[in-house]
Amino acid sequence: MWSYALRRLLATLPTLLAVITVCYLLLHFTPGGPFDREHRIAPEVLANLNAKYHLDEPLWKQYLLYLNSLLHGDLGASFRYADWSVNELVAKALPVSAMVGGGSLLISLFIGVALGCVAALRQNSWVDYGVMLLGSLGSAFPSFVIGPVLILVFAVWLPWLPSGGWDAFAPRYMVLPMVLLVFINVSTIGRVMRGSMIEVLGSNYIRTARAKGLPLRTLVLRHAMKPALLPVVSLVGPLAISSITSAVVTESVFSLPGLGRLIVNGAGNRDYTLVLGLVVLITVIAVLFNLLVDLSYALLDPRIRY
Amino acid sequence: MQRHFVRTAIALLLASGLSSMAATVPAGTQLAAKQELTRNNGSEPDTLDPALAQGAPANNVLRDLFEGLTAIDSAGKVVPGVAESWKQTNATTWVFKLRRDAKWSNGDALNADDFIYALQRFVDPKTASEYAASFGIFLLNGKEIVGGKMPPSALGVKAQDKFTLEIQTPYPVSFLPELVSNTQLGPVHRATLEKFGKEWTKPANMVNNGAFVMQDWQVNSKIVLAKNPRYWDAKNVQISKNTYLSVDDSNADVKLFESGENDWVNQLPPGSFEKYKAQYPKEIRNTPMLGLRYYSLNVADPLLKDLRVRKALSMVIDRDTLAQKVTADGQLPAYGVIVKGTIGANVTRYDWALWPMEKRVAEAKQLLAQAGVQPGTKVKFAYNTDVYHKKMAIFAASEWKTKLGIDTELEAMEFKVLIKRRTDGEFQIARNGWIADYNDATTFLTLVQCDSEQNHQRNCNRKAEALIDQGNRSTDQSKRQALLTEASKMIMEDYPMIPLLQYTVPRLVKAYVGGYTDTNIMDRYRAKDLYIIQH
Repeated sequence: MWSYALRRLLATLPTLLAVITVCYLLLHFTPGGPFDREHRIAPEVLANLNAKYHLDEPLWKQYLLYLNSLLHGDLGASFRYADWSVNELVAKALPVSAMVGGGSLLISLFIGVALGCVAALRQNSWVDYGVMLLGSLGSAFPSFVIGPVLILVFAVWLPWLPSGGWDAFAPRYMVLPMVLLVFINVSTIGRVMRGSMIEVLGSNYIRTARAKGLPLRTLVLRHAMKPALLPVVSLVGPLAISSITSAVVTESVFSLPGLGRLIVNGAGNRDYTLVLGLVVLITVIAVLFNLLVDLSYALLDPRIRY
Repeated sequence: MQRHFVRTAIALLLASGLSSMAATVPAGTQLAAKQELTRNNGSEPDTLDPALAQGAPANNVLRDLFEGLTAIDSAGKVVPGVAESWKQTNATTWVFKLRRDAKWSNGDALNADDFIYALQRFVDPKTASEYAASFGIFLLNGKEIVGGKMPPSALGVKAQDKFTLEIQTPYPVSFLPELVSNTQLGPVHRATLEKFGKEWTKPANMVNNGAFVMQDWQVNSKIVLAKNPRYWDAKNVQISKNTYLSVDDSNADVKLFESGENDWVNQLPPGSFEKYKAQYPKEIRNTPMLGLRYYSLNVADPLLKDLRVRKALSMVIDRDTLAQKVTADGQLPAYGVIVKGTIGANVTRYDWALWPMEKRVAEAKQLLAQAGVQPGTKVKFAYNTDVYHKKMAIFAASEWKTKLGIDTELEAMEFKVLIKRRTDGEFQIARNGWIADYNDATTFLTLVQCDSEQNHQRNCNRKAEALIDQGNRSTDQSKRQALLTEASKMIMEDYPMIPLLQYTVPRLVKAYVGGYTDTNIMDRYRAKDLYIIQH
C-alpha cells in the first residue's frame, strides 16, 4: 500500500506543474495587472514597481524565478497585502478554513451517516421524509441565502451569537458558519448514505444474516455499515475541496479571515503570487484527499488491495 | 509680495490656533466608562507602511498610527500635528516649527531628521511608492527623484535646526499644509525600519508617533489599536481601544452593526439608503465628499470626436432623476469637473442645466442632426460589474434611447479590465470616478488636463492648460481661483466627460459615537477626535 501511495504522490508532480503553468499563463494574459488602479500610477512609478516585483523581466524568466522560489518553499510576496508574504497569509488563513471547513465536514459526516442510516431503516416513515426534506432544503437553498437568515435569527433578533468576525478560534464565532456548512453537507451525505444503506440492506448477504437471527444493531454496525459507507467516502474528497471553494461565499457572509477571502481578493486584485500560491495549496489538498479516499477504500472493502 | 506671505502666515497661525487640538467633548456630555470604538474599514489595508499606502482603508488606520506635520480634524479642517505652526516664507518655501514634546511610541524624541529620512524614502525609486509621483511632484526635485534622474538627497527638504523643517516646492503650492497631513508625507522611525526591514509594520515591531499603537493585526479580520500613552496630546485622547474591521461585504457590515459588534458601517449597500434612513433615523449619516462620478467620452472615437455628439449625450441625462430616483442615496447632481467644497476653483455648471428638459432634448436632437447622427446609431458603454454602476448605466442608456433614439450596448466587465480598457483608450463611453487625494482644484483638473495620466478621454485644451499653469504660478489665491475656474469652464465646454453626481458617504454610525460631523468632505476621521457618549 505504501509503495502505491508513494507512486501516486510522485504522479501528482506533473499534474501540479501543469496546473501551475496553465494558471500562471492565464493570470498573466488576463487583462489588467496588479498596479492598474482607479488612480493611475505615473509611468516612472510603475517602472519602479515592476522592477521591485520582477515584472519587468521576460515572462519565461519570471516563471522560472517563481518555480525556483516554489522549490525552496517560498510562495513569494503578495501584491495585494504588501506587508505579508504569501506563506504568511496562507499560514494565517489555512487554520481558519481548516477549522471551519474541516470541523464542519467531520460533524456532517457523523450526523449525515446517522441520519442516512435511520432514514434507511425506517424507510417511508416520517423520519425518512424528514431526512429527505432536510436533504432537499440543503441542496435547494444556496449558502448566501441560508447564511444571512441564520445571522438575522441568531445574531440580530436573538442576540446570542456574533453575526460574523473571528477572534483567535473563539468558539462563538465558529458556531454560525459551521452550522451553515454542516446543514449543507449533511443534506448531501444524508441522502447518499440513505440510498446506499437501503441498497446494502436489500442485498443477499444481509438477508442471510437476518435469517440467522442476528440482532439489528449487529447487522447494521458490523455487516451493512462498511459497504454502505463506500459512496460516502467517495464524497469526502469533493466535499473537502468544496468546503474550501464554497468558503468564498461563507467567509464573505460571516467575514471570516480564511482562504476564501484570500482567493477573492487575490483574483480581483491580480495578485499573481497569492492566486498561484492558493492554487498550489488547493491542488495539493485535492490530491491528498483523493489519495486518502482511495486508501480508505481498502479498509472498507476487503476485495480492494493496492 | 512679502507682506502677502506674512498675512497668509498670520491667517494660518490664527486658524490653527483656533482649531481644536483633540477630541472636543461638548460641555455637559457624559462620557461612557468604556471608551472603545469599532469601525468597519471597508476592506483590508493594502499595507501599514505610510510610504506605500494607497487605498482609503490603509490611510484610515495610518492616520491613527502616524501623525504628519499637520492633520485633518473631524470637521475637515487643517490642524497642527507634529508641527505646532508653519509659515510660507517665500513663494516656494514653507517652514514648519515642530513641537518639542513629540515622541515615538518607544520614547525616542522626534525631530526634523525623521521627516527628512521619511520624505527621501518616500520618493526613492527603491521604495516604489505608488503615491511617490502624485505627492512627490509638489516637493522640489520630487518628480526627478522618482524618475531616477536625481538622488533622493536632492529632495527640497532640509532641517534649519532640530525642530524646524523647511520644505521647498517647485512652484507655489498653496495647499501644502493640507497636503502634508497625508501620512505618506509624515515621519517614520528610521532605526526600526533599518532593524526590521520589510517586517517593521508588524505589531511587535512597529514604532510610530500617532495617538494610537498597534496591539493586534489579524489579516482580513481586524486591526486593534490602543491609546498611545507617549503621544504628545494623550491627555486629550478619549478612545482607549480602537478596532478596525476588514469587512468587504456591505450587507455583512450592516448585520454586524445591527448585532452590536460594529459602531460604524463603512458604506451602506447600494439602494438601501432610504430603508435604513427610515429604520435608523438617529444613526444614518450621509456627508457629501470630494468625489465625482462621471462618464469618460473617448474624443478619439470616430463618432465621439464631434463635440456636438458629446454635448448632446451629456445634455439629455436628467441628473435630478438620477440622484433622487435611481441612486436615491442623497448624492448631488454635478454639471462640472469641480465639485462642491473644493478649494482653489469654483463649481461651474452648464447654462443648459437650468433649462427645462424639453428644451434640452430639442437642442440635443438638433446638435445630433447637425453632426449627421441618425436615430438608431449605436454607442458602446463600458462599466465594471457592480449593482450601483449597472443601475446608473441602464438609466443613461434609457435616457439616450428615449430622448435621442441612440442605442447603447452595455458592456459589463471586471474592474481591472475596465481600468485597462480606459488606459488603453479602448472604449467609446466608460464609467469613471474620482475621489480627491487633497482638497484643491488641481486634483480634479488632472482628470481633463492635456498629458495627464488620469485623463482617459484624451482631450486637450491648450488655452485652458495655459490658464492652469498661470494660476498655479500665482501666489494670489483669488487670482489663482479665478484662473482655474475659467480653465475648468473652458475644458467642460469641450465636453470630454459627462459629470453626473458628487459622491456622498451613506453610512450608519451609532448615536453614541461623538465627534462625527457632517462637514468632513474628505471623509477622514481620526479616532483622536472621537469619543463614546454614555448610553
